[in-house]
Amino acid sequence: MIATLEKLTNGAHGIVRITGQIAAWSGLALVLLVAFNVLSRYLFSYGSVALQEAEWHLMAVGALFGMAYGLNQGGEVRVDIAYAKFPPRVQAAIDVVSAVLMTAVALLIAYLSLAYVDASYSINEGSPDPGGLGYRYLLKACLPVAFILLAIQSLAMTGHALLTLLRPKGVR
Amino acid sequence: QSTFNWKMTNAYGPGSPFYVEGPGSPTDFCKKVEAMSDGRLKIQHFAAGELIPALEGFDAVRSGAIEMNAANAYFWAGKIPAAQYFTTVPFGMNFQGMNAWLYHGGGMELWDELYEPLGLKALPMGNTGVQMTGWFREPIESVADFQNLKMRIPGLAGKVYATLGVDVKLLPGGEIFPALERGVIDAAEFVGPYQDRRLGLQNAAKYYYTTGWHEPSNVTELLMSTQAWNSLPADLQEIVKVAAMACNLESHTWCEANNAEALKDLVENDGVIAQTLPDDVVAELKTATDTVLADFAAQDAQVKKVHDAFTAFKTEHAAWAAVSEKPLYGLPG
Amino acid sequence: MPYTEILALVMIGAFFLMLLAGVPVAVCLGVTGFVFGYAGFGSFLFTLLPARIFGVITNYTLLALPLFIFMGIMLEKSRIAEELLDVIGFAMGGLRGGMALAIILVGVLMGAASGVVGATVVTMGLIALGPVLNRGYDTGVACGVICASGTLGQIIPPSLVLILLADIMGESVGTLFAAALFPGLLLSGLFVAYVLILGFFKPLALPAIPAEERAALSRADLGKKLLRVVLPPIALIIAVLGSIIGGIAAPTEAASMGALGSIVLAAMSGKLSFGVMRDAVRGAFVTSAMVFLILIFAQPFGLAFRGLGGENLVHDAFAMVPGGINGQIFFLMVLLFVLGFFLEWIEISYIALPLFLPIFMNAGVDMAWIAILVAVNLQTSFLTPPFGWALFFLKGVAPPQVKTWDIYKGVLPFIGLQLVGLALVFSFPGLATWLPQAIGW
Ligand code: NA
Ligand code: NA
Repeated sequence: MIATLEKLTNGAHGIVRITGQIAAWSGLALVLLVAFNVLSRYLFSYGSVALQEAEWHLMAVGALFGMAYGLNQGGEVRVDIAYAKFPPRVQAAIDVVSAVLMTAVALLIAYLSLAYVDASYSINEGSPDPGGLGYRYLLKACLPVAFILLAIQSLAMTGHALLTLLRPKGVR
Repeated sequence: QSTFNWKMTNAYGPGSPFYVEGPGSPTDFCKKVEAMSDGRLKIQHFAAGELIPALEGFDAVRSGAIEMNAANAYFWAGKIPAAQYFTTVPFGMNFQGMNAWLYHGGGMELWDELYEPLGLKALPMGNTGVQMTGWFREPIESVADFQNLKMRIPGLAGKVYATLGVDVKLLPGGEIFPALERGVIDAAEFVGPYQDRRLGLQNAAKYYYTTGWHEPSNVTELLMSTQAWNSLPADLQEIVKVAAMACNLESHTWCEANNAEALKDLVENDGVIAQTLPDDVVAELKTATDTVLADFAAQDAQVKKVHDAFTAFKTEHAAWAAVSEKPLYGLPG
Repeated sequence: MPYTEILALVMIGAFFLMLLAGVPVAVCLGVTGFVFGYAGFGSFLFTLLPARIFGVITNYTLLALPLFIFMGIMLEKSRIAEELLDVIGFAMGGLRGGMALAIILVGVLMGAASGVVGATVVTMGLIALGPVLNRGYDTGVACGVICASGTLGQIIPPSLVLILLADIMGESVGTLFAAALFPGLLLSGLFVAYVLILGFFKPLALPAIPAEERAALSRADLGKKLLRVVLPPIALIIAVLGSIIGGIAAPTEAASMGALGSIVLAAMSGKLSFGVMRDAVRGAFVTSAMVFLILIFAQPFGLAFRGLGGENLVHDAFAMVPGGINGQIFFLMVLLFVLGFFLEWIEISYIALPLFLPIFMNAGVDMAWIAILVAVNLQTSFLTPPFGWALFFLKGVAPPQVKTWDIYKGVLPFIGLQLVGLALVFSFPGLATWLPQAIGW
């Protein structure tokens, strides 16, 4: 059973890592895009509504898909005043509970987002600005997808913490 | 008799005069309704950001979680393009014309037709009246001055300017001042003298142009879910309608009175140069607007229908205004 | 007290308990929000949650966050930042706390370039924490200086806080920007004075570079090194600040000049490779995600607090407001300070300020002055444990050996300094009101 759990955990971890490594490049794209918009406006008085909207579109995608990857790379923040003093098994128990709760919250938000995306899709929502980016429901659809990815990552973390709990003392 | 406890969200932030606070504002509407209904319809007001972000009211009301939202219909132009006409369009109608169309020219019926399939019901609840062209760091003497001019101007008017060579920049309200002051942008449009003075734009640019060609008036929309609306007994529905109508009038009169004072103050105490756009510039803007609106109307059948009705009414009303108001304005003071 | 308001109180309590037990911040916020929200008002308000989250991730002014973080990581990965503080330490000679002074200076300059607190704290944590710890700084002192200097961006214009306050209080953005300048510099000055005094009394907490090491480096070598290491980051800050002042970029988008500049610098120093870029891109992604994760998971909490009528708790407290304008201002300050322990600053501003504004307006108090008092107070709220944004953000980028307790302990003196600054602005309103009047804003 432990072997299966380990396999699943590693698999989930791998999925999030690879998608994250790809999505991470959105950050560079954002830097280049905003810099381009600034410089082309200043130097050539050239600007486009679509490219300006693309700035926060990119940020949104990065913020959403970064959540799972951030946790995947250990980027979570906690107050460790008491935690640091707990024995490893207590820490693992807190980690299991935390990861399970995170999974539940992520799934709940993914579920809640479905209606939000549907409301946008049903009217083919675009930008209110002429010349803006269309298909806004695609951007909104990133919400449930990203939160499901976050749930997968949280499951992997649950598995990882469970393995720490289940393994006999001293083997770690 | 049952009591109703409703929530209203708003696209504008806490404290904004006209849009949130003051006579004829959405919070005033809530107070009026509560007083008129003797507390049977209580509406708790949430400014932008308090419960939901500024532009999420449409979806919130549609989902049924919120009963009412205050905003401008043209914020929803990405969801229902034809909604644009229920706030304003460039070279649209002034307060008199717009209300004549909405209340008696078939406007509200078209609005209902547009919103009903989405489970929504809207009423006009306010109006800024004529807005100002905006603030310019340099004077505009001919249409050539628009070439490469960097301007903060959203929406259809931005599109019109763009066809005349303006570089359209989108910026949130809070960044207009620093950007205009430093010359990141050469010009910016906001609302009118009272609101613009509050933003401090007179300290960033001195040329303040008029003819509100881009927003001859601007309707505040009271958006409700049909379900919530239908749940109200007839007397409360009437109270909501009357309160919205009262706010529509009161907000406009408030703007007229305060803009008059603010413009005088800006010119006399802040060295603002208030000017009218040259006639030939306005004529070019009109030509460009006709093309932009024709393109806009061509995108779908709904927009075309509303556009045609709006334009037809405007033409008829303009003929009457040419006989009634125009000569009146021409009278010696 | 209605049932829902009691729930709101219990929600805050449960949040603290989970937080102190070591459950990740995001989980604490999300879980307590959902549990108490569902208990109090059921599911219907949660329909609004996606809209709130969408509002966060598409918030234009937050663009500065990923952009500045990218700059910080790029500087770190290309090792430009690493040597910078070290060389400054050498240049400061026997002066204790020299690197801390440099951090405060960078905080002021970054603050003048950005108004998003997460952006400045995270960037400074990335570039400064490692080097000063390597030089034997006390962890608490290092964290305190970085957190406090990082929050200076909120009071030194441009600033998101000031923009929001201008909106709520009916002042122009320009007036508040001008009013905030001297109080911001005053706070920076207090920080500098504190560091100098601390260096005198506790030399081991912020040591100078050892004398023999300094002796080993000749003046000429130091000069060369200084030019090579200090000039590039200064050029970067000039690129960001200069693009705002020179009218090239609006405040938010100016951050892109820094980020682009950091790439150019790395390329010029021959340190740019695919590997460096890949690591920088991934590092920036993780760090931005850490900030966004907390911002996003704060949404269910904020929604539940509102939905439970948590603002009524504040309204109830408001009923106890004493008479006299000074008493009322004092009460507002205490209230803001207390709310800062568990609420986010935007939420605080929306809930507390509208209650007090009519009182102050009727009393004819200078609203710009009130706004600056509020801004300094809110800035302090970024630092107050347990729920201080700056503390979490620094924790997120700090090496593992830095514990939350170090950060909490380290910021305490700076919270004291903030309160001193607050008292000074209160006692000498001219600090805030003089400049806007002098330049006519
Ligand atoms: Na700042
Ligand atoms: Na705090």
